[in-house]
Order: sequence, then C-alpha cells, then structure tokens
Amino acid sequence: MIRVLIADDSRVMRQIVIRTLRQAGYDWEVREAADGAEALQAVRDDEPDVVLSDWNMPEMTGIDLLRRLRAEGFGTPFGFVTSEGSPEMRETAEAAGALFLIAKPFTPESFREVIEPVLA
Amino acid sequence: MSIAVETDQVYAITHEVFGAMIDPEPGYLRPWEGELPAPVDPLAAWVDVHGELAGRAAVICETAAAHDLARALLRMEPGEEVTPADLVDAFGEVANVVGGNVKALLPSQGTLTLPQVAAAVPPAPAGAPVHELALDWRGHPLAVVVWLF
Repeated sequence: MIRVLIADDSRVMRQIVIRTLRQAGYDWEVREAADGAEALQAVRDDEPDVVLSDWNMPEMTGIDLLRRLRAEGFGTPFGFVTSEGSPEMRETAEAAGALFLIAKPFTPESFREVIEPVLA
Repeated sequence: MSIAVETDQVYAITHEVFGAMIDPEPGYLRPWEGELPAPVDPLAAWVDVHGELAGRAAVICETAAAHDLARALLRMEPGEEVTPADLVDAFGEVANVVGGNVKALLPSQGTLTLPQVAAAVPPAPAGAPVHELALDWRGHPLAVVVWLF
C-alpha cells in the first residue's frame, strides 16, 4: 500500500485532501503534518512513498520543505496541493523538484490527472 | 487588482470554489437579487497579498451561514455542531482558496498571508473595494470583496 504524508496547516483541508484521494480511488495509508517543519521531521523519522503538501504554511512553507528534503538527500516524490497555481509558482515548484502542483479547488478527477502518470 | 482582475473572473473563481469544495454539485451559488442585507451577526474571512500588487480578498456572511459552509466542507449533517476551531479553519480556507486564485491572475506574484477570521474585516489601507460580489448561497446572503491597496 502506498504511504502518503499530507502536510497542510488546515485540518479541514487535510480532511478534504484525504476524502478526495479516496474518491479518486487511492486507498492509501495516510499520515498528516500540520506544517512544513512537522512534515520534515515526519519524513526524517519514516520516509513515506509520496508527500502532498500545501505551499503557504506557518513554521516552514511547502517550498522550503521540498528544498530542505532535497538538500538532506531525500528524493521522496513530492506534489503541491495549493490555492496558488500561477505559472510562476508552477515553475518554482518544478525547479525545486516537485512532480506536480494541484491547484485548489480540486476534484477527484484533477487528482487522478496528475497522480496516474506518476504511478505509471 | 482592478487592472488585472475583472469582476467576472472573481465570480467565476467563487463559483468554481463552491462547486468543487462545498456543494455536491453546482447551482447553489447565484447572484443576490437586489441589495445585499447587512449581516446581523457577521463573520469575515480574508487573506492579504503583499508585494508589488497588494490587496485583500474577503468572504463575509452571517455566522450561521459560515457554520453551514463548514458543515458542507466537512460533509457533516445539517445541524451537527461545528467546533470553533473547525469554523475558523473551514471558513478561512474558503477565503484562502478564493484569494489564492485571484492572486494567481495577477501579473506579478506577491506573498499570500495565512487566512484570518473575525467579526469584521480590518479597515483597508486603500478604502473602497474594487470588486464586491453580492451572492446567494442556499438562501444565505454572502459577499466576496476584493481590495487593491
């Protein structure tokens, strides 16, 4: 079973991401982190198969989390789920090593569109 | 934001947010007929954009409507109790997603603040809003307001 770490400072949004994963057909094992720093520690403690992270979070942003993970040698597949889907942010995410960026609001279909190619 | 973002775009964004996150299907959000009544027990959620183009996007409605929004986001039963933490979290996320999508339309990308929730939006440095949508969500009056600082 794929193990996913979901990082978002909003508990409500984490619930919505989990629900949407299920609706998209991904019955993954889920762990949660309430900010980037907590997510970084969670990866260090037990690296998941994939990280789905918000961008704008207290303590450590999603992009800082991704850069820190890469700097520490973690190649964990990483995708953003964020309300800010501008071309500039997509470029920044890709340059830092993100596999995809899902813009909020999202649907199960938009999850499948970006996750299926990664699983393949 | 008035230069880069049109009222129709703010309306389209709000529709998309409600259709994807809040309602099981679209059609529950429509323009309010006539003048939007002033809320008796208001709750406001907003995010600010800092940078070359700065502004604010806010969602304002009756507190009871914000509870209904939170229930809808969390797929709770009608009348089920929403905790204060979930109310602030859920209502703030509505403003966050609307604001983030408005920000994405801007030609220069600043920084989005974390969402804030209070009974009233603080006074905007630039005064009057550039866009003010009067909406009807399931019979609740609801305003989406965008300022340019």
